[in-house]
Amino acid sequence: MAHDAHHAEGHAHAHWDTSIYPFIISFGILFLAVAFSFKFVYHNGFAAILAMGLGIPMIIAGIAGWTSEAMGKGEGLSYGAMGWFILAEAMIFVSFFVSYWYTKLHVDVWPPAGNVELPRTMPLVMTFILVASSLTIHYAEHLLHLGNKAGFRTWYLLTIVLGACFLGMSVYEWSHLIHSGFTISTNAFSTVFFSVTGLHGSHVVVGLAIFLAGLPSVMRGDIDEGFMRTAGLYWHFVDIIWFFVVSQVYYW
Amino acid sequence: MNLKEWIFTTDHKRVGVLYLIGSIAAFAVAGIMALLMRAELSTIGPTITANPSQYNVWLYTHGAVMILGFQIPALTGFFANFCIPLMIGAKDVAFPRVNALSVWLFYVGVILALLTFFIPDPPDVMWTGYPPYSTITTGNTAMYSFTVLILGFASIIGGVNFLTTVAYMRAPGLTLNKLNIFVWCTLAAFVLQLIFVPVLGTAVSLISMDKYLGTNFFDPTKGGDVLTYQNLFWFYSHPAVYVIFLPFIGVVYEIISVHARNAVFNYKMVVYGGVGGIVLLAGEVWVHHLYVSGMADWLRIGQMVTTLMISIPVGLMMIGLIGTLYKGSIEFNTPMLYGLGVVFLFLIGGLTGIPLAVPSLTIGVSDTYYVVGHFHYVMAVAGTFAIFGGVYHWFPKMTGKMYNEFWGKLGFWLTFVGVNIVFWIMMDVGVKGMPRRYYDYAHFPQFESAHQWMTVGAGILAIGFALAVLNWIFGAINGKPAGDNPWNSPSLEWSTVSPPPHGNWPSPPSVSEDWHPYGYKKG
Repeated sequence: MAHDAHHAEGHAHAHWDTSIYPFIISFGILFLAVAFSFKFVYHNGFAAILAMGLGIPMIIAGIAGWTSEAMGKGEGLSYGAMGWFILAEAMIFVSFFVSYWYTKLHVDVWPPAGNVELPRTMPLVMTFILVASSLTIHYAEHLLHLGNKAGFRTWYLLTIVLGACFLGMSVYEWSHLIHSGFTISTNAFSTVFFSVTGLHGSHVVVGLAIFLAGLPSVMRGDIDEGFMRTAGLYWHFVDIIWFFVVSQVYYW
Repeated sequence: MNLKEWIFTTDHKRVGVLYLIGSIAAFAVAGIMALLMRAELSTIGPTITANPSQYNVWLYTHGAVMILGFQIPALTGFFANFCIPLMIGAKDVAFPRVNALSVWLFYVGVILALLTFFIPDPPDVMWTGYPPYSTITTGNTAMYSFTVLILGFASIIGGVNFLTTVAYMRAPGLTLNKLNIFVWCTLAAFVLQLIFVPVLGTAVSLISMDKYLGTNFFDPTKGGDVLTYQNLFWFYSHPAVYVIFLPFIGVVYEIISVHARNAVFNYKMVVYGGVGGIVLLAGEVWVHHLYVSGMADWLRIGQMVTTLMISIPVGLMMIGLIGTLYKGSIEFNTPMLYGLGVVFLFLIGGLTGIPLAVPSLTIGVSDTYYVVGHFHYVMAVAGTFAIFGGVYHWFPKMTGKMYNEFWGKLGFWLTFVGVNIVFWIMMDVGVKGMPRRYYDYAHFPQFESAHQWMTVGAGILAIGFALAVLNWIFGAINGKPAGDNPWNSPSLEWSTVSPPPHGNWPSPPSVSEDWHPYGYKKG
């Protein structure tokens, strides 16, 4: 008897959850991959722009829709998941650093021809800014935990400003180096320099994007504490990776 | 049936079925590539194409799509999605939308791989993409890089999702020592994916950056180093073997335990010794793929030792399977035949791998058909048999209907005979000196009849696989009702209705203290 009831209830459950946004984001990414081939393999700039014009809006719309659909409805599991995701992210940096060490210690002459003197003070200032931003987000979370939403908002915004400053300084430094003739294709070291700092920079961009995705809810005041803790964890990771970047490519 | 509720679904079972459909389609395409190659090799000289580059494209598609489009998505996509939440008594995965994203990224990756047939200058870099060839060929290396990156990203977010799901969403009372072996194996595979996929992603990005964006990672004239790529690539791609092996052997554990009506032999040995040992050693054996690429001796010898060592946990997992069969009441139905087929084929594949672990022996057979035969036995054939057996095993749960036993068994025997013809002969001609990857073998006319036998065997196994897929399609449409638990299994996935509704159980299940997924009543 219990079995029959079990059956009836099972079939009455006609509703299945759906979301359109994962689908849209996936195909947006497909257009980006196609755009790369158009530009660099087939040298068709117009087709590349067309594909990007389709792909980028799809990805942005997908992420925006996803965020508004799901924000605040999580089950508080994102913090644990972020730990696993960071493991994967860290492995990307590990592969870059190990390839760099392998090449550097393997070849007869290092550094290869064409190197320039890298700035010494700028990276220190950038380190200071990034560490400061890690502290500000930590303090912001502390205030949120105590229930001080206005204080959280101030320190949260300060973190975004510091992150943007860091990014601005990176861009300035890159353009300075490129103008002095040191580009990504100069030699193996320049390749490593630009790709590792670029990879780290892209993580700063992603971290800022996560903060910005949370910004509307912060301004409204209905703050999802789990989301903020997860975003903060990612930001600390970006900060820690910078120590490796700065010590390996600038000072060693 | 509401198509929108399928395409935009976030339910783990439907996402799993989408994975299954996509990966079987990929299997069909990659299988046709293999048949085209076999047809080309059936005679000396041009047979069905006079263009060697065409053969390279088939080889590229066969390898890349079989591994990245079929085996990994079928095992860590379909089986993980369909079975894990049901086995742990959860209503869904931790992040259903992320799950939907990973399946659609998988489809996007497969679409990119299939564009190979429609674009000018298709990729022709094998599934390995070694520089310097991949950075100087006129083929579209970017397509290869993006395919791998997108599929890799899909599996990373899938891994994060499932690790979180099992960590936080198990039914009350379901402790770690009561997880199905399949769940343990798949979790281990996901941990390996999270550690190693990013390395592959980096490697394939670097070749496209070198080719298109002017970087110098692999350009020795600018201080780069070509071997870096091979190290990065195999640092992922050897563990990828375990990413495939672990879930498929987990599937075989479920099949054999149920259809032999016997608890898994020495559960803790299998989990901690077998699965744990493989995870610990997986990342320390990749150099055995580079024995002839110019490695320092201390690295080659060191990794010879670790490679031989990893046969210990793998052996423990085989002992677990044999022990589960021992004194079991074995029923020779279709899933069980596939399960036993895996035990047999994997043993051949495993034992023929031991000589390849030893540099002094490898150098003689490196780049011959022996290597091809070995890895097809060990992962291609054993893995595919496990996937097919697993689909048969969970078919009643997925569809609520029963497949046809006669056609199922016939399909099994045809494939079993076919694969042994193809791959046994392959190892044999390999030892006698037939090099792999050749479009034509005019210099080795003595192997022509062996090649013809292999082509015949490939035809037989193709018919067998096609029968299995047709059997599923017909069974899903008009099979007999199967009931909720046709195998009388105590494992949790069989405790709900077939097919399970959204949310899996009307009310969340909990398990009692004396419950165990392998607790069969002795009668």
